[in-house]
Amino acid sequence: MSAPETPETHSQQQQTTHFGFKQVDTSQKVNMVKDVFQSVAAKYDVMNDLMSFGVHRLWKRYTIDCSGARTGHKVLDLAGGTGDLTAKFSRIVGETGQVILADINDAMLKVGRDKLRDRGIVGNVEYVQANAETLPFPDNSFDIITIAFGLRNVTDKDKALASMYRVLKPGGRLLVLEFSKPSNEMLNKAYDMYSFHLLPKIGQLVANDADSYQYLAESIRMHPEQEVLKTMMDEAGFEQTTYHNLTGGIVALHRGFKF
Amino acid sequence: MSPYIEASNFSMPFAQLMTAGIELAINRLLKLDEDSQQRLKKLSGKSLQVTIAELPWPLVFNFSEQVIVRTVSNADKDSAPAADSVDCLIELNLETLPKLKDSSQLTQLIQQKQLNLIGDVYVAQTFSNLLKEIDIDWEEQLSGYTGDVVAHQTFTSMRALFDTAKSQIEKGAIDLSERLTQSDSIAVKPNEVHEFSKGVNEIRSATERLFARVAQLEQRQKTATGSDN
Repeated sequence: MSAPETPETHSQQQQTTHFGFKQVDTSQKVNMVKDVFQSVAAKYDVMNDLMSFGVHRLWKRYTIDCSGARTGHKVLDLAGGTGDLTAKFSRIVGETGQVILADINDAMLKVGRDKLRDRGIVGNVEYVQANAETLPFPDNSFDIITIAFGLRNVTDKDKALASMYRVLKPGGRLLVLEFSKPSNEMLNKAYDMYSFHLLPKIGQLVANDADSYQYLAESIRMHPEQEVLKTMMDEAGFEQTTYHNLTGGIVALHRGFKF
Repeated sequence: MSPYIEASNFSMPFAQLMTAGIELAINRLLKLDEDSQQRLKKLSGKSLQVTIAELPWPLVFNFSEQVIVRTVSNADKDSAPAADSVDCLIELNLETLPKLKDSSQLTQLIQQKQLNLIGDVYVAQTFSNLLKEIDIDWEEQLSGYTGDVVAHQTFTSMRALFDTAKSQIEKGAIDLSERLTQSDSIAVKPNEVHEFSKGVNEIRSATERLFARVAQLEQRQKTATGSDN
């Protein structure tokens, strides 16, 4: 198993980067991640419910509760996938607010757009295909930015955090919901067993794609753990950065402000 | 380390589980009553925060075509100017909650400091009415799953069963009432004892008079028999 990222190793990875446990050329990762999500887009919601036993819905609710969203806010749901967060934000910010669902993957965006429109969520939602590293928005545009289960797939996380900082309004906040490192050793072992042995089998059975879910398990292990990500956010300029472990640290919500 | 990090490292997000349950229940009920959508429109774009002293988390309701129920994170609870972020803020305890049914009591409750209300009271009243006025045709709902005939028969049987049970309960209540009344009369009152004693005395006097009369008649008979001899 490869070692997870630290700020040092992270900054050294100029030419190559990890794709799960593999080292690949930096320029290749975007397309490789794209292929993964192109493959799982149709079954993404079903798989999320199956893999997390539905708990991902509570993690996302917690994210919304920590967002401080209110009527009139402008929200960027980055790597928003099939739009779970966008759906809630859209109803909270109301007609005077706006939610932008952004994802690098057009297949995920299409699934998200169809789902939200079918549920009558229109009017204050826009869909943008965007790379988190180079966000196509003016400086100081958003009150809230969320990125849920997306940051670990970004090739250059520092660049993405800097880009998010740029487009966030002063007083705004960034919320990063992401898989992390369980705080209990027993839970960690059980989680490893589940991720590497059971998860790919569920992926094969439901989505007919074991490789993508093998990548999911590997990418989680390669993602910076709680304290490292907090440091990265601090270095990007965010202030009052904190994190909260959910379900024993399987997932962590990081939050930082721009002042 | 901030309290934000320390708060329940191992916990499931129970507050979110609770709000998800409330949200699901409210929206399901509203969906079953078609007219409620029209009433919900009056609240569209509004928000209401209810802080119940006995609950660890405040509840925030956002209204659109649905009702979104959420809470405020521990980190925001103390710092966020809640009254600025919602249209109406209500703070009360569970004991005061049922008293809100009577809107004429609101001023009194505020004066007695049992209720703190900031913002647009119309939002709270409209939401309260929305929930109170939910009217669901359960027979119609069941017919969607079982068909009209089964739903009608089920509800007719249920109504008959309900009516029978109701009449049995009413009859039982009357019987019980009568039995209680009878058992009350078993406990003899003083005037009844007096009347009874008076009656006994009268019977005793009458009996004594009868004995005296019989004795007198016997005496007369003996005297008449002796004269004949």
